[in-house]
Amino acid sequence: MRKKRWGGNSTLKKIKDYLPWIVYFVFFVGILVVNPGTHYIHLVARVIIFSLYAVAFNLLYGTTGLVSFGHALFYGVGAYITGMLVKAAGPEYFLLFIILGAAGAAFVSIFIGLLTLRLTGVYFTMLTLAFAQLAWGLTFKLYHFTGGDDGIQAIPKPAMLTGGVTKYYIFSFIIVTICMYLLWRIRRSPFGSVLNCIRQNPQRITFLGMNVYKNQLKAFVISAFFAGVAGGLYAGLDGSIHPDMLHWPTSGNAILMATIGGMGTFFGPVVGAGILTGLEEIVGKYTEYWSFCIGVVVLIVVLLFPNGVLGIKKISGNKNNEEKETEVVCNS
Amino acid sequence: MDINTFLAQFVSGLSVAMLLFLISSGLTLIFGVVNVLNFAHGSFYLLGTYFAYQLMQLFNNFWVGLLVGAIGAGIVGMVIEILFLRRIYGRAQEGAFQLLMTFAFILILDDVVKFIWGPEYKTIPKPDSLMGSFNMGSVMVPTYNVFIIVVGLLVVLFAWYFLTKTDTGKTVRASSLDRVMLGLLGTNVPMIMTLVFGVATAMGGLAGVLAAPLRTVTPGAGVEFIIDSMIVVVIGGFGNFWGALLGALIIGEVLSFGILWMPELATVLTFIVMIIVLIVKPEGLLAKKAVGRK
Amino acid sequence: MKRKLISLLLVLAVLAPLTAVYGAETIKIGALYTMTGRGGQYGKDSEVAIKIALDEVNAKGLPGGAKLDVIITDDKNPQYAVSVAKRYITDEKCKFLFGIISTAIGLAVTEVSKEHKVIFIGTDHAGTDLTANKFQKYYFRSSNNTFQSMMAGAYYLKDEVKNWKKIAYIGPDYAYGRDQWMELKWGLDKLGVKYQVVGEYWPKLYEPDYTSYITAIMKAAPDILVNGMWGGDTVSFIKQAKPYGLFNKMKYFHVDAGGNYEALAALGADMPEGIIMSARHHNNWPDTPANKAYVQKFYKAAGRYPSYAAEGAYVGVHMIAEAIRKVGNANDTEALVKALEGMKIQTPEDPPGFTSYIDPKTHQIVQIQAIGTTVKNDKFPPAKYMLGNFKIYPADKLWPSFEYIDYMTKVKGK
Repeated sequence: MRKKRWGGNSTLKKIKDYLPWIVYFVFFVGILVVNPGTHYIHLVARVIIFSLYAVAFNLLYGTTGLVSFGHALFYGVGAYITGMLVKAAGPEYFLLFIILGAAGAAFVSIFIGLLTLRLTGVYFTMLTLAFAQLAWGLTFKLYHFTGGDDGIQAIPKPAMLTGGVTKYYIFSFIIVTICMYLLWRIRRSPFGSVLNCIRQNPQRITFLGMNVYKNQLKAFVISAFFAGVAGGLYAGLDGSIHPDMLHWPTSGNAILMATIGGMGTFFGPVVGAGILTGLEEIVGKYTEYWSFCIGVVVLIVVLLFPNGVLGIKKISGNKNNEEKETEVVCNS
Repeated sequence: MDINTFLAQFVSGLSVAMLLFLISSGLTLIFGVVNVLNFAHGSFYLLGTYFAYQLMQLFNNFWVGLLVGAIGAGIVGMVIEILFLRRIYGRAQEGAFQLLMTFAFILILDDVVKFIWGPEYKTIPKPDSLMGSFNMGSVMVPTYNVFIIVVGLLVVLFAWYFLTKTDTGKTVRASSLDRVMLGLLGTNVPMIMTLVFGVATAMGGLAGVLAAPLRTVTPGAGVEFIIDSMIVVVIGGFGNFWGALLGALIIGEVLSFGILWMPELATVLTFIVMIIVLIVKPEGLLAKKAVGRK
Repeated sequence: MKRKLISLLLVLAVLAPLTAVYGAETIKIGALYTMTGRGGQYGKDSEVAIKIALDEVNAKGLPGGAKLDVIITDDKNPQYAVSVAKRYITDEKCKFLFGIISTAIGLAVTEVSKEHKVIFIGTDHAGTDLTANKFQKYYFRSSNNTFQSMMAGAYYLKDEVKNWKKIAYIGPDYAYGRDQWMELKWGLDKLGVKYQVVGEYWPKLYEPDYTSYITAIMKAAPDILVNGMWGGDTVSFIKQAKPYGLFNKMKYFHVDAGGNYEALAALGADMPEGIIMSARHHNNWPDTPANKAYVQKFYKAAGRYPSYAAEGAYVGVHMIAEAIRKVGNANDTEALVKALEGMKIQTPEDPPGFTSYIDPKTHQIVQIQAIGTTVKNDKFPPAKYMLGNFKIYPADKLWPSFEYIDYMTKVKGK
C-alpha cells in the first residue's frame, strides 16, 4: 500500500493508516443506525459479502499481479459446500459449515494453483477460466448431488439469525470484518511485501533467494479460502444457491469490482463492490438495457480511471517509479 | 462401430470443427499479432450475422450478405481498435484491462443489436445453390456443410500464402515477434495492428454469416462462442494459426465421437481435453517457444 | 365575485390532493422477466401482453376504484432475481410477484414468496416441480407445466401414431430437458405403451452445432424422435437436421415448446411439413373470437404476432384482477389465495365450451392441450407453416396427477 510519509508526526500517520477502517465502520455500522428499511439492509449485506469476495480476489490480482479469471470457482465451492452441509445436517453449526466450505475451496485451490501457477500471464488466466468452467459444468451435470440447474433452495439459517435480514447482516458484518482484518494484516506483513514485489519484478525476488512459485501458491490458497467464506455467507443470505455462482461472469465481477474500486489499494475492492452492486440495482430498476449501461461504465473506468475510484489521485500526476518499472518489465 | 457410422461422425465432426476454426482463427490471429485477448470476438460473429440479416432483408442475396457481414464486422473491429484498444497498450496489468474492455464491448454490442433489431429469433435462409445434400457412400452430407469446409480450407490456404509468401504477411509475422524493433525499422506498426485486428474480426463476422443459415440469429449468440473458441485457441497454442485448426479438429471430433460413446459426458469433454493439454503442454500443442513472462 | 372564485380555487386546491389519497389506490405487481439474450423475446412479449391485460382490467374496474400496475425488471440470474423480488416486497410494496421465464429462477423466487407470504403468479416457466413437489400455497401458475404437455403427448403417441417401437430423445442438458423425458416415459408407462429407447442425447443448452448429434440419431434410426428444446435451439436443430432427411426417416415429436410461434416464425419456409408439435398457446387455435381478439390486440401493439409466453402473462394479470374483485381488496392474502383456488378463468386458449380453471390442490392452471402437425399456413407472417390437424386432449385427464407428484417427490425430493 503506497502511503505518503507525513513528516515525522506518527499519530497523524496512524490516523491516515486507519482512516479507511474508520470510514468502513462508519458506513457499514452506520447503515444499521440509519435503518433505511429491509431492502437497503439486504443490499448492503450483499455489498459486504461481495466486498470480501473482491478483497480476497484482490490479494491475487492487485497485490500479486495474477489475473485469475476463475475465482468464481472458490466462491461457488464455498457456497455449495456450506449450502449442502446445512441442508443435510441442519443450521446449528452454520459457522462451522462456512469454515468447512472455505476450507474446501482452499483445498481445491491447492491443486488448481499447482497446475495453473506454472504458467504466466494470459495462459494462467485461461487455465483458471478452464477450471472454473469445468467446475460449473460438473455442478450442472451432477444434478442428483448438487441439484443442477435448479440450484439448492430453502437453505435454513440458524435460529438466532432468522427473522429479518438485519440479524444476518450483523453476522455477516462480523465475519467479513474479521476476515478483512486478517487479509489486511497479511497484506502489510513481510509476506505481503513479497507478493507486491512479485507483481512488480519477479526476477528480483528470485535474486533475493525467495521462491516466486511457492509464494504465489500461498497467496492463491489464502485468496481462495476467503472467497469461499464469502460464498458460504451468501448461501445463508437468501438461502438460495445456483451454478451461476461458478459461471464466468461471476469471476468477471471480481475483476470488475477490484478494478473499479482501485486494485492498488486494500479497500478499493470494497468500494468497487458497492459501486457495482449499487449500479446493478439502479440500472436494473430503470431500464432493460442494463448490459449497455454497465458496459459503458466499465469502458469509462478502463479508459479514464484505470486505478479505480480510490486511485484517482494517480491519473493526473506522472507515473511514479513503481509503475514505470512495471511497464518496462511487462513489456519485455 | 462400423465404417459408415465412423465416417458419418467423422464428417460431421469436421464440419463442426471448420466453423469453430473460422471463429477461433481470428481470435488467435489477434492474440498473436496484436497481443490482445479479444474476449469480445463472439460479438463480431454476432455483428456478422445481423449485418447479413439486414442485407438479406433489403436485397435477398446471400453472397452480398456474406461480403457485407464480414466487411462490416471488420470495420467495426478496426474502429474499436483505433478508438479504444490502442489506449490501453503498454499498460501495467494490460491483460486484465483487455479482458475488461472486451467484456464491456460484449455487453454494449449485445444491447445495441437488441435495440436495433429487436429480441425475436431471426434466420437467414441458405442460398438456393447450396441447398440439399448428396451421398458420400452411405453417408449423407449436406451441401452447405461441405461449402463451409471448403471455405475453411480456402481461408487456411490464403492465410498461409499471405503470411509466408507476401511481404506484408512477413511484416505481420514480424510484428508479432518484436513490435518495438519493427517500429524502429520504420514500419507503421499501429497501422498493421489495426489492419490485422480488422481482418481477424472480419473473419469472425464471416464465420457468423456462414453459420447463420444453420443457426438462429439472436442477441446472446455471441457469448456462447467465447468459451468454445478460447478452448480451441488454448489447445492449439495462442497466436498459432495452424494450432487453431488442430484445436478445432480435436474438439470437433472429440465431441462427435463423445456423443456416441459417452453421451452423458459430452458437454464436459471439451474442458477435460483443454485441461489435459494445458497440463501436458501448457503453451498449446503447436506452439514452439516455451511460455515466457508476459 | 373575485374573492369567491379565489376561495373556490383554494378549496379545490386543498381537496385535490385528498382525492388522490382516498381515490385511486395503485396495486402493484412486481414482475421479473428475461429481457436480454436468448430469452429476451419472451420477456418482451410478456411485457406487451401485460400492458394489454392491464388496460382491459383497469377499464373494467377494480374494487374501490383501484388501479393495477406492473413493474418489470430483468431477472438476470437467480441471486439477482431473489434480491429484486425482496425489493419488490419490502421497498416497493408490491402485493404480488409475477412472471419469470426460467424454472431455475422460479424455484429461487418461490422461496421468497413462501417466506414473505406474498402471492406469486408464474406465467411462463414450466418446470412441473413448482406445482408438484416444490408446491407452496402462495404459488400459482397461469400456463401449463411440462407434465401436461408430455401427458397429452403420451396419449397422442398411443392413439395417433401407429406401428412404432423405437424412440429416442434429444433435449437440453438441464432440468427442463430431463424432466420432459422423464414425464413422457412415465406417461407412456402409465398408458401401457411398450417402447424401446434407442438413444438419449443431451446437448448443452444453447448448443450452436447439432451436426454430430444428428448423424448419431440417424444411425440409431428411431421411429420417433422426441425433442425437448425451446426457442432458438429448436430453430437451429430443425435447420441443421433438414438436409440430412431426418424428418423423412423418423417421426419428429416436439410437444411442449416445439410449435411455439417464435420458432415457426423464425423457420418460415424451412419448416418441415407434417411434423408433430404443440405449444403452450397457439395463435391459430382455437379459432374463437376471444383468441382472435387477443392475437390481434397483440399484433397491433407490437407489430408482430405473439409467442406463447405472452398469453401466460395476459392470463396471469386477469387472474389477479378476478381474485381482487372476488375478495374486494388486495390486502387479505389468505382470502386471495382462497379466491384463486378453483377459480375459473376464460383464457384465449380455451376452445368453445371449456373454461380453464386453477386446480385447488396444486395451484396449477388446468387447460386443454392440442397437438397438431405442421401445415402450410401463411396467415401469420413471417411464419409459413402453422400447426393444424389438431387432436384435443381434455384438461382433467392431464392434471392433476397425484401419482406423478408422489413419483416426482421421490425422485427429486421436496
